[in-house]
Amino acid sequence: MADLNAVEIRNVSKIFGFGEFAFAAVNDTSVAIRQNEFFTLLGPSGCGKTTLLRLIAGFEFPTAGEILLNGANIAAMPPFKRPVNTVFQSYALFPHMTVAENIGFGLQMLGRPKAEIEARVAEMLKLVRMEELRGRRTSQISGGQQQRVALARALAPQPKVLLLDEPLSALDYKLRKDMQIELKRLQSETGITFIFVTHDQEEALTMSDRVAVMSAGRILQVGSPREIYDAPTDRFVADFIGETNFLKGRVVSITDGIAQVDTGVGGRIAAALPQGFVPEGEVTVVLRPEHAMLCAPDHSGACQMTGTLENVVYFGTDTHYHVRLADGVTSFTLREQNKPLQAARFASGDRVGIAIESNAARVLRN
Amino acid sequence: MSGAAEVMETQARRDVRNRWLLSLPALLIILLAASGPLLIVLVYSFLTPGPYGDVQWQPTVSGWINVFLERDIFDETLSLADAHVSIFIRSVWLSLVTTVLTLLVGFPTAYFIATRPDNSRELWLFLITIPFWTNLLIRTFAILQIIRNEGLINNLMIDLGLFARPVQMLFTDGAILTGMVYVYLPLMVLPLYASMEKLDFRLVEAGYDLYATPFRVLRRIIVPLVKPGIIAGSILVFIPALGAYVTPSILGGGKNLMLGNLIELQFGQGRNWPLGAALSITLMLIVMVALLFYVRNARGSGVRHG
Repeated sequence: MADLNAVEIRNVSKIFGFGEFAFAAVNDTSVAIRQNEFFTLLGPSGCGKTTLLRLIAGFEFPTAGEILLNGANIAAMPPFKRPVNTVFQSYALFPHMTVAENIGFGLQMLGRPKAEIEARVAEMLKLVRMEELRGRRTSQISGGQQQRVALARALAPQPKVLLLDEPLSALDYKLRKDMQIELKRLQSETGITFIFVTHDQEEALTMSDRVAVMSAGRILQVGSPREIYDAPTDRFVADFIGETNFLKGRVVSITDGIAQVDTGVGGRIAAALPQGFVPEGEVTVVLRPEHAMLCAPDHSGACQMTGTLENVVYFGTDTHYHVRLADGVTSFTLREQNKPLQAARFASGDRVGIAIESNAARVLRN
Repeated sequence: MSGAAEVMETQARRDVRNRWLLSLPALLIILLAASGPLLIVLVYSFLTPGPYGDVQWQPTVSGWINVFLERDIFDETLSLADAHVSIFIRSVWLSLVTTVLTLLVGFPTAYFIATRPDNSRELWLFLITIPFWTNLLIRTFAILQIIRNEGLINNLMIDLGLFARPVQMLFTDGAILTGMVYVYLPLMVLPLYASMEKLDFRLVEAGYDLYATPFRVLRRIIVPLVKPGIIAGSILVFIPALGAYVTPSILGGGKNLMLGNLIELQFGQGRNWPLGAALSITLMLIVMVALLFYVRNARGSGVRHG
C-alpha cells in the first residue's frame, strides 16, 4: 500500500466542445502524486489546473486516460462515490445549514451513526479552532471563518485525498499568510494527501512538497519548490516563477552534463544541461538575477559577460541593476543584497562586467 | 446638537410625507377598484335576493346560511347542502392536485432552463410564455378538440387499433386537470426559475463531493434553497385554480362544477346574488387561510439569496 501513489493521472485528456470549437483543457497529461504529500498544481488562469482537479474530484470525466486512486481506476466513478473531498474556491458552504451541520453533512451522507458524527464534528471544530461558532449560519461568519469551515467540512469524512481549488484567493493578504501556515499544519496533522491548485507562485513555493507547473493543458515540470526555482527545464517554467534572465548562445563543448556556452557577449558560461537533453544549434540559458554579480569589466577572468549599466533601482533589502549586454540587444537584470551603509559601486552609464555564480546557469530544453 | 436633531427630525417627517404622496395613486386605485367592490359584495351577502336578480334592501343572513346549509322546501328544516360542500371539497382537491402536478412538471422544466447556457435561457423562457399570447378561451377549446370523443387522440387510437370505441375523456375531472395544468404551468415555472437561477450550482457540486447521491442533493440542497420559488409558484397556481371558471365550465361540462361555476350560477340563472356574494367571500377566506399557511411555512426556513 505504502508505495502506491495516492493519485496517478495517466495520459488524461479533457476536451470541451466539438469540431472546430474543440478545446483541450487538459492535454495528454500524466503525473503521479505520492502518499501524504502537499502537491501543488501551479499555472496561469486557463492552464487546465482547475480542470485537472475537477477530473480528480469527479465533476468532470476525462475524454481519454486513466485516473488512479490508490491504484484503482476511478475515471468513470461519480463524485459521490469517490473518497476524495474538495475545498472550493468560493467555499460553497450550504447557506441553509449551521456551521456544525455543514461539517457533519458528508458523514451524514455516508450514513455514519449520530454519536460518531457529533464527535467528529466537535473534533473538526477544534482542529480549525471554531468551537464557539458551531451554531452559527454560514452567512453570519467572516470570510476567513468560512474558509476554515470549508476545510473542516472537507476533512471531516477523512478523505484519502483533499483537493483545494485556490482556497486562499478570496482572502486578504494577512489572512492568506495565516491560512498558508494553518493549511500546512492541518496537512501534517492529518497526514492526508493535499492537492492544491493556485496561480500564486509564492504560495506554491512556500507550502508545497512538490509543485507541478502547468501551461496550455500540459504539465511542464514536476519537482520540489527548490528544483522548480533553481533548475527550471522549460522556458515557461523559468519565466513564470520568479524573475529570470534568458541568454541565447551556442554550445561549444559538453563535459559531465555541463555545457560550455558561447553567448557572444564576453566569455563562456558553464550551464547545466537538463537530464537526457542533447542540445543542437542555438540554446537558451537561464540565470536568476540573484545568481550574478557586477564586477569591474577589466577582470576578464572573473567576469563572463560585459555590458553597459542602464538603470539602478534601490529596493531597500536589495538593489536591482539593469544591464544592456555587449551585443546591444539583450537586457540582463541582477539583484544584489544591500550591505549596511555601502555606497553604490556602479552608476548608470558605467561599463560593467557580470560574474556568474557557479552551478547557477542552466540550459533549457526549448 | 439639538439643531442637528431637529433638522433630522424634519427631514424624517418630510420623507414620510413624500412616501405617502408617492404611494397615493396606488392607494387610491386599491381603494376604488378593490376595497370598494369588495365592500359592496360583503353588504350584498347580507341582503335578500330580488325576484329577477339584484337585491332587496332587507337585511338577512339567509345568503350565508345557504353557503353550507339548505332549507327543506316542505318542513323548513336545515340540513347540510351536500351539493355545495362537495363542490367546495372538489374545488380545493382539484386545485391541490393541479398545484402538485404543475410542481412535478414545472420543477424539472425550471431546472432545465436554469442550467442552460446564459444565451439560450431567454429562448426557453420565451417558449414557456408563448401560450400567454393566446386567449384562454381559445386554448381551452383547443384542448377540447384534442380530447373529445371524435377528437385527435381518440381518432388516432382507433385508427391504430388501440381503442375499440372512443374513450370518454372530455367532461371528466381528468379533463379539468389537464386544462388547468396546461393553463397554470407558466405561473409555476417562472417563479421556480427565478429561484433556481440564483441557485449557486457549486453547492450542488459540494453536495456530490460530500457523498450525497443525486436524489439526496435534490432533497437536502436544491429543494431547501429554491423553497421560496416553490412557495411562490404554488400560491400563484393554487389561488387562481381555486376560482377557475372557464376551464371547468368548458372541459368539465355542466356536471363537474367548481367554485367559480357555482358562483357564476348564483349571479346568472340562480338569481340569488346574496348567496353568490357569500360564496365569493367564502372563497376569498379559503384563499387567505391558504396564504397564511404558506407564509407561516415560508418564514424562517426560506433562504435569502445574496
